[in-house]
Amino acid sequence: MKKANRILTIVMFIFLYIPMAVLIVASFNTGKDIAHFEGFTLHRYVELFQDEHLLQLLRNSLVISILSTATATAFGTIAAVGIHNLKPKMRKVVMSLTNIPMTNPDIVTGVSLSLLFVFVGTKMLGQRDALTFWTLLIAHITFNLPYVILNVMPKLQQMDNSLQDAAMDLGCTPMQAFFKVTLHEIMPGIVSGAIMAFTMSLDDFVISYFVSGLDFVTLPVEIYSYTKKPIQPKIYAMFTLLFLLIFVLMVTMNLLQIRADRTKGVRRAKADSRTMRTFKRVAAGAAALLLALVSGYLIIFARPQETVTLNVYNWGQYIADGSDDSMEVIKEFEARYPHIKVNYSTYDSNEIMYSKLANGGITVDLIIPSDYMIARLIQEDMLLKLDFDNIPNYQYIDENFKNTSYDPENEYSVPYTWGTVGILYNTKYVDEADVTGWELLWNEKYSGKTLMFGNSRDAFGIAQYLLGYDVNTTDREELQRCADKLRQQKPVLQQYVMDEIFATMQNEEAWIAPYYAGDCLTMMEENENLAFYLPEDQGFNLFIDAMCIPTCAKEKEAAETFINFLCDPEIAGANMDWICYGTPLSAAKEFMDPDMVNDPVTYPDDAVLANGTSYAYLPEEISRYVEGLFMEVRNG
Amino acid sequence: MKKNNSILLSTPYILWMLAFTLIPLGVVAYYALTDPATGAFTLGNLKDLNLYWGVLWESILYSLISAFICLLLGYPVAYYIAHQGVVAQKILYMLVMLPMCMSFLLRTLAWVGLLQDTGIINSILDAVGIGRMQLIRTPGAVVLGMVYNYLPYMILPLYSTIVKINPRLIEAAEDLGCNTFQVFRRVTLPLSVPGILSGITMVFVPAVSTFYISQKLGGTDTVLIGDVIERQFKQGNNPNLGAALSLVLMILVFVCTGIMNRFGADEEGGVIA
Repeated sequence: MKKANRILTIVMFIFLYIPMAVLIVASFNTGKDIAHFEGFTLHRYVELFQDEHLLQLLRNSLVISILSTATATAFGTIAAVGIHNLKPKMRKVVMSLTNIPMTNPDIVTGVSLSLLFVFVGTKMLGQRDALTFWTLLIAHITFNLPYVILNVMPKLQQMDNSLQDAAMDLGCTPMQAFFKVTLHEIMPGIVSGAIMAFTMSLDDFVISYFVSGLDFVTLPVEIYSYTKKPIQPKIYAMFTLLFLLIFVLMVTMNLLQIRADRTKGVRRAKADSRTMRTFKRVAAGAAALLLALVSGYLIIFARPQETVTLNVYNWGQYIADGSDDSMEVIKEFEARYPHIKVNYSTYDSNEIMYSKLANGGITVDLIIPSDYMIARLIQEDMLLKLDFDNIPNYQYIDENFKNTSYDPENEYSVPYTWGTVGILYNTKYVDEADVTGWELLWNEKYSGKTLMFGNSRDAFGIAQYLLGYDVNTTDREELQRCADKLRQQKPVLQQYVMDEIFATMQNEEAWIAPYYAGDCLTMMEENENLAFYLPEDQGFNLFIDAMCIPTCAKEKEAAETFINFLCDPEIAGANMDWICYGTPLSAAKEFMDPDMVNDPVTYPDDAVLANGTSYAYLPEEISRYVEGLFMEVRNG
Repeated sequence: MKKNNSILLSTPYILWMLAFTLIPLGVVAYYALTDPATGAFTLGNLKDLNLYWGVLWESILYSLISAFICLLLGYPVAYYIAHQGVVAQKILYMLVMLPMCMSFLLRTLAWVGLLQDTGIINSILDAVGIGRMQLIRTPGAVVLGMVYNYLPYMILPLYSTIVKINPRLIEAAEDLGCNTFQVFRRVTLPLSVPGILSGITMVFVPAVSTFYISQKLGGTDTVLIGDVIERQFKQGNNPNLGAALSLVLMILVFVCTGIMNRFGADEEGGVIA
């Protein structure tokens, strides 16, 4: 029995540590795939320390967790003393209030706080950006407080009240008695509460995910979007370093504690000087806490004012980021316009972007939605008219990308890219004879190996092409039939994806997926077994993505400068070489790789393009109806 | 004077908690009862909940199974740790704590690398001639993800309870003629009930509301209530239905923890870590 126990314990520890070992090994891998070790390198660590964005996120996380821990510790300790002296009945009520964030699932806490902040901020105070650093801090303090209270309360209960009375009899004021006696007695509780609060805060994903806006994001929230895209191995390097750091911290703490336990006996003998020393130590601790608080808040307030922060909210994998010898477009922009700092976040579908904007509470200066979404945003008064005096490079935009159906007067948008939607498939596993049209995505032969769009408009579009309906239909019966068609497809599917497609198709976890042509080309460059197919006969989506400034923007002029920069033919050329989408600037083609310009995936013949159709604006109730149907398909 | 003091000291805290825990729940209820398009009062969102009882039931099932497996695996581990020397206990305790401090997103992602069709385990199976198996995107993978992530939440409270059991009680039972198994069944196990209850709660609550684990390790048919809520807010632009679902989830959790506490009421009360 004992032996079995021991073996099971060892097995459990292996179970707990294997995934971490996998991540640590992956940080030394020359290849990008976590499952295949290709060779040893330390380069990921170099990359990590060159990545200012990642380091900034780490700093953000530390700022939030240190400030929230310090605040919650001070606030919670004072409150605990107060609660301790309340009448028992009242105490019980307060303690059950304290237990709410402890027993509530994180997702409910996150949702409730974000709804509160948005409701109060936008509806009651008329603020545009309700979800800021401060609201995130409030959220963290709120879920940290119970940890402090629940750790301090038992220590207060264990404490002998006569100690405090004795101190006062000996001439202490209540304040002195608290600092000289009480604080010393409850210190272990305060410390363990603070440690728990700190770790919870540092590692919190769910609550921060719901509460944070775009301009202040913590590391775990960004890691969530990183884990959708093909993950950059430097993240593994960061994981390894954090693992080592926490390991060392924990070991040191344990060693110190063991030593303290051993020397306790000796210290007892020197009890006289102990009180004084403790008092000094406590005072020093309190002073340090205060200092941390004040300086922390000061740092936040004293952000440099002369720079403008431009919040760009774009699709994932949609701007050249310096990888594969490309131009790092954002860095280039910041170098040319040193007074503007770009804060870049990504979404992976028009619908996600729309939800974020419509829910309110955030500041975004620039977005790049697709045609039908632009029409919807214009219709709902969510876009600002552009000042084209600030965008002289608009002259380079090709005439056939002007006066489009979604923005007929050229007031709200500047085209960024265009493209088609087709099917990406792996020639190693998929029989060419099966590649006949959209029905390939329903083929049971490839069950479990087929992916599908995770957004409603593209998914319904495919069903509409297959069933021969108009892609802009508002007929609810037709839409219902599309939903049925999509429901039929579900057993065949591996998963509904957006940005996740890159990793799964490249490592051949999945074999078939519908996606945007430009991204398909990017994936084909990574894996030569991949091929692209455009169902010309059935029809396919032809889209334009364009740059717009939403009404919640704060830095309109800087956003226009950024738009202008991206329309500079040289920049656009370098950018398009990396993202592989079609460019609406013929002038940019001069600066592009000739192979790219002639690639039939991105630039099909005009005869082929004639079969494509664009998604148009759907009335709001139809948009909601489609969204609801798609949710039912996915959840049912 | 003391009384004044205590009110003075605790009032800001009470106000804070009212403002940021109780009132937000009121706002959730408000959203749950309003129409997403018009903002008018409606019971429509509650009616729409009917579509999701299946999902809710499945979430409960998955998380109960996970909590039960955590208990089966975690109890012997906690028992083993509690019966080591002081230093070994500290080290083992630390090793259980450590994974909880590391990003659970990345640790779950590592399981994707291990389990996927082209992943590490399947490559090994293939190399030794067993052949590839469907591991990921199964209900089993979701349960595995839950067990993996929340096992420490089971071990820690169990350990704190078991370590406090007075060894004299066990000696007494032995003296009275119990064998090892009887001692365990009649003394150790009943005395660890508070730890068991608190462990089950601590596994069940995060498991029932997770969305990341099912997104990464589940398939198209393992949708949990957390996924649905997340999608209503982040993608479907229907915070009202999301709020209604959150309310249901919250009530469910409160009922469950209430039942747990009722069970544990005879004991010395719940122990949290």
